[in-house]
Amino acid sequence: MTAVPLGGLARRLLRSTPVAMALVVVALVLAFGALSPGGAFLRVSNLSTITLNVSVTMLLAVGVTLVMASGELDLSIGANVVLSSVVGAQVLVALSGAPEQVRVGDYPTLPLGIAAGTLAAVLTGAAFGALNGLLVTRLRVNSFIVTLGTMGIGTGLAYVLTGGTNVPHVPRLLQTGFGVERLFGVVPYPMIVVLVISGLLWHLLSSTRFGLRTLAIGSSREAAERAGIRVAPHLLALFTLMGALAGVAAVLDLTRFATTNVGGHQTTALAAIAAVVIGGTSLFGGRASVAGSMVASLIPVVLATGLVILGVQAFWQLIVVGVILIAAVALDQRRRERLL
Amino acid sequence: MEAPAERGSDAPGTGYAIEAVDIVKRYGQVEALSGATLRVRPGEVLALVGDNGAGKSTLAKVICGAVAPDGGHLAFWGRPVAVSSIRQAQELGVETVYQDLALAPDLSVAENLFLGREPLRAGAWAGPLRRLDRAGMREAAQAAVDGVGLRVPSLDAPVRLLSGGQRQGVAVARAVMWARSAILMDEPTAALGPKQTGIVYDAIVAAAARGLAVVVISHDIPRMLLLAHRIAVLRQGRTVGGGRAADLSLPDVVTMMLGGARRAA
Repeated sequence: MTAVPLGGLARRLLRSTPVAMALVVVALVLAFGALSPGGAFLRVSNLSTITLNVSVTMLLAVGVTLVMASGELDLSIGANVVLSSVVGAQVLVALSGAPEQVRVGDYPTLPLGIAAGTLAAVLTGAAFGALNGLLVTRLRVNSFIVTLGTMGIGTGLAYVLTGGTNVPHVPRLLQTGFGVERLFGVVPYPMIVVLVISGLLWHLLSSTRFGLRTLAIGSSREAAERAGIRVAPHLLALFTLMGALAGVAAVLDLTRFATTNVGGHQTTALAAIAAVVIGGTSLFGGRASVAGSMVASLIPVVLATGLVILGVQAFWQLIVVGVILIAAVALDQRRRERLL
Repeated sequence: MEAPAERGSDAPGTGYAIEAVDIVKRYGQVEALSGATLRVRPGEVLALVGDNGAGKSTLAKVICGAVAPDGGHLAFWGRPVAVSSIRQAQELGVETVYQDLALAPDLSVAENLFLGREPLRAGAWAGPLRRLDRAGMREAAQAAVDGVGLRVPSLDAPVRLLSGGQRQGVAVARAVMWARSAILMDEPTAALGPKQTGIVYDAIVAAAARGLAVVVISHDIPRMLLLAHRIAVLRQGRTVGGGRAADLSLPDVVTMMLGGARRAA
C-alpha cells in the first residue's frame, strides 16, 4: 500500500468520528484479546459484562449528546441518577408490602411496587431535568452553572431523603430477574433497554424536526429564533428528556445492584460528557453524533476491563481516557478552523 | 387577503401591503424610533435610507416581529395587526433578510431554507418522531436557489463552507421562497462584491414583479435611486421625507438625511 491512499483513508476516517472511534474500540478489543492469557478477554462472558458495565454511561451519553447538540451542558445527571434511584427505591419498597413484611424479604404486592417505583424514578428524573431547563431558560443563567448548582442540590436532596444511608430492603428479584439477566445468556437486559432508547434518540436527532431544531439552536441560537423557533420551550423539553433518561438510568442501576448508591455517580456526568466529546459531538453545539457517543462510551470500560485482565493497574484507564479526550477536542477544533 | 395576481397591479391608490405609522421604540432612555412612518404598496420597492443610528434596522425589526414597538400602528393589507413575534409576521407573509443573515452555520443550505417550517413525511413514525421530508426539502431548495440565480457547491453542504456572497444568496433565497406579501432586507449587499450585488438586486426586482412589497435598507443611495420606486428617509428615529425615486436626486436625499426636510413619504 502506498502512503497516498493511506493518507486519504485516514482523512476520511477522521472526518467520520463514529467510524474512527469504532475502529479504536475494535483495535482495543483485538489487542486485549491477543494479549490476555488464553484470550480471556474475548470470552463471551467478558464481553457481555463489558456491555452491562457500559449500559448506564451509554444511555446518559446519548442524552448528553442531545443536550450538547443544542449548545447546552448538564453536569447534574449523576446527582439526578442518585436522587431518582432513591425516590424510586423508596416508592418501590413502600408499595411492595407492609414494612414488617418487606423487612423479612416478603413482597406481596411486588408488581405494584415495581411499576410505581419505576414511574417514580423516571418522573423524578424528568422533574429534576425540567427544573434545570426552567432555570436555564427563565433565569437565563448558563447551563454549566445551573447544573453545577443542581448537582449539589440533587445530591443533597438524596442525602436528606435517606439520612445518608442507602434505601434498605430493595428486593433481590430486581437483580436476579432483570438487572444481571441476559437474553440468550449473552445480551444483558439493561443493555437491550439502552439500545432501544438510544435507537429512538438517534432517530430523533438525525431525522426529525425536533432534532434539526436542536442542532439549529446549538449552531446559532439567534438564527433559530429568527426562523420562528421557540427556543426556550425547546431547551426545556431537552433538559426534561435528559432528566427522564437519568431516571431510566436510576431504574437500571437499582435492578443491577438491588440497592441505591447515595455516594455514587460523582464522576458520571463527566464520564458521559467525555464520551460525547470523544464521539465527535461539538462542545459548542450544532454538530452531534449519537452513534459516536455510543461507541466512545465503550472505550473507558474496554480499557479498564482489558487492563485488569492483563494484570495492569486499572487506574491507567483514567490516564488513557484523559489523553483521548484532549486529543479528540484538539481534532474537533482543527476541523472547525479548517471549515471556517 | 388578495390573490397575488391582484397584488401585482401596482397602480397608485391600491391598498398598502405594509403600513407602519408613527412607530415609537425605546431602549431604556434611548428613543430609537420616535414617530417613524413607512408605507409600501404591493409590487413596490421602497428604499429606507438614513444615517447610522437613524433607526432603519429597528423599524424593520418592528415590522418583522423581532421587536415590540412602544407606540404607533401597524397594518398589513389595510388590517391593523399587533405583530408580537417573528412567527406571526411570517404567517402574515412577511420575510426578512437580516444584516447578519441569521443562518445556522452547521446546518445545510436546504435545512436553513426550511428551518422553522420543515416538511414532514408520511410514514411509520408518528408524533414528534415523524421523519423530515428531506427529499422534498432538497427539491424545493434547489428551485429556490435556482430562482435567485445562486450557485452553491451542494445543497447538503453546511452553510459555514459557503462564501459570504453565497450565504447572502441563501438568506435572500429563503426570504423570496417564503414571502407571500412582503420582504424586508437589511443592508443586503453591504458585504458583497459587484457580481453578488447584482444577483441580490435582480432578486429584489423579481420579487417586486411577483407582486411582493419590498423594503430595502441600504447606504447605496445612488443605486437605490435607480432600483427603488420610492425612497423614505429616516433621521433620528423619525421619517423626515422621501418620495418617488424618479423625482429625487442624490443631493435631495443626502440633504434630508442630514437636515432639511422635503416631501412626505
